[in-house]
Amino acid sequence: MLDSKVELVVASGKGGVGKSTVTSSLAIVAAEHGYKMVAADADAEAPNLHIVLGVASWDREEPYYEGRVAYILEDKCTNCGVCAEVCPLGAVEEKGGKYWINPFICEGCITCSINCPEHAIRYKHRVQAGWIRLREKTKYGFPLVSGEITPGRPNSGKLVTEVKNYASKVLGGEGLLLVDAAAGIGCQVISSLTGAHLAVLVTEPTPAGFSDLQRIHRLTKHFMIAPMLVINKYDINEEFIETIEEYARAENIPIVGRIPYDPAVPKSMAKGVPVMEAYPSSPASKALKEVSEKIAGEILPKWREFRSKYKPRKPEPYIPLILHDTSRG
Amino acid sequence: MPPLVSFTGGKGGTGKSFIATNIAYLLGLERRHLLADLDVEAPNDHILLGVKELGEKEPVPIFFPRIDYSKCTLCGACAKVCDTGAIIMSKNRPPIVMPRLCSGCKACLYACVYDAIKPGARIIGFMHTTPVTIGESAFTLITGVLHQGEEHTAPLVHGVKSRALRRAREDSVPLLVDTGAGTGNSISIAIQYSDLVVAVTEPTPLGLHDLRAILEITRGLGMRTWVVLNRAGIGDSDPHRRLAREYGVEHYHEVPYAKEAVEAYVKGVPVVAYAPNSRVAEKIRELYDLMRPIIAG
Repeated sequence: MLDSKVELVVASGKGGVGKSTVTSSLAIVAAEHGYKMVAADADAEAPNLHIVLGVASWDREEPYYEGRVAYILEDKCTNCGVCAEVCPLGAVEEKGGKYWINPFICEGCITCSINCPEHAIRYKHRVQAGWIRLREKTKYGFPLVSGEITPGRPNSGKLVTEVKNYASKVLGGEGLLLVDAAAGIGCQVISSLTGAHLAVLVTEPTPAGFSDLQRIHRLTKHFMIAPMLVINKYDINEEFIETIEEYARAENIPIVGRIPYDPAVPKSMAKGVPVMEAYPSSPASKALKEVSEKIAGEILPKWREFRSKYKPRKPEPYIPLILHDTSRG
Repeated sequence: MPPLVSFTGGKGGTGKSFIATNIAYLLGLERRHLLADLDVEAPNDHILLGVKELGEKEPVPIFFPRIDYSKCTLCGACAKVCDTGAIIMSKNRPPIVMPRLCSGCKACLYACVYDAIKPGARIIGFMHTTPVTIGESAFTLITGVLHQGEEHTAPLVHGVKSRALRRAREDSVPLLVDTGAGTGNSISIAIQYSDLVVAVTEPTPLGLHDLRAILEITRGLGMRTWVVLNRAGIGDSDPHRRLAREYGVEHYHEVPYAKEAVEAYVKGVPVVAYAPNSRVAEKIRELYDLMRPIIAG
């Protein structure tokens, strides 16, 4: 159905607004439409898509190795504290005159060991920084690829890139790559958006949700991605809807769905079954079905047309704020 | 060290900021303190506190290599030690630094034996200081904001956290920390040195899954930990209670789902001030009373 690879990312800025619920519904409906597709969970610090899709076991699990962790050799250390001074992340802690390196913070950058006058710092190499997991066929037919970072490890964005590459390989050429992004606008989200064509932005009508929508939208503009908007829990604060709609109009973002707050959503999560399946006649299910049908049935078949219509006119620039040297030379 | 309590949780949208701002309000009725919003990718505490505009802004710079091409011998040591791939060298060409990829770790600075790398600086985000007054409650809000397009949150969280800690020490006031979503090292930095970590979760299997990752960190570091299950009643909370026990969590506390909480959230008023007689306000006050010996100092 698709003549090339199309990457569609579901993102929101704010957490807990319904990314995984929207992603799972869209995935199920797109599969019903017969798309060749793979779903990828790109929230490696809090991967939840498999839970929503009722995936309890994996067909393949590959350990993901990345980086190093520094540690101090106690018998060589003179407790001079140079390592604590130079560590860029404050990972070296002092406890009763002795120093140790917090392994949940250290990124293994070697700055401490270069500076240690006693050569008392060593590295644990080949640290298992997480997992990449594959379910070859969910009960809805499509494969799911999911990444999970080891708690306290850095650079989850790198793992997200690996997850996307793995998912692309599973997809094998043309088809739909459906990506469930993390909350925020940092490394994980940047990795999710890199190379994407379309984005479903999910928000809720609260000032916090709106503030984060604007942040994530600016980032999609930087990557020249065509956005569409889903307003979730739209009835929890209806007076605020106008503010969001006005923004969407001014920024040329089509609103593709409004989903009501519905206790059926958390209830279905507890069952480990997508809400559209657990409570098909609930208001949220009907709305999710409608928005997914719109995306899978109308937007995706003509995604190039959609993209040229809603792609930002110009990219939002990334301007690094580099200062000149202030100390010397 | 002043008392330090941090609010975290793993999953986004469980109510970290909701609980943190309510506790900050209650503490502010008794004494001055600092609340640091370290959710630098999506800071919202000011919105929940009805702050219209963030206060005084200061840049948070990190190290950025400035290459002195007259001294560079093209040896490639800097590119070799750069873990984030920010220093690119093609054959017989001087190194080029990609700003977004650079985490400011200084490994290149120390690895260059020709003194060809000079310490420059790059601003990765900002820190705002905002006085907050709600009725009788008064405190100071510190907000970290990631510069749009930057991807390294860890050094910014560290920068803002250190400044907040220094200020709390100078003024001898308690510090409350609200972290972002996630379970990576940015979160470990935000909760570092806490006297108490409060992990806020929700009664769904998603909340449970991410709570476990946070408890792995706090147990690994031997930190005193409480679990607050927010929106109690919308799902099954037994597994969360069991998990808390499994990880040796000191106290497990439920805060019910309530319409008043949503209304207060949307209006930008802490629910304990908006609907003081509601059940949800009562449960948060109960939590505060238990925490008081730890934070009030």
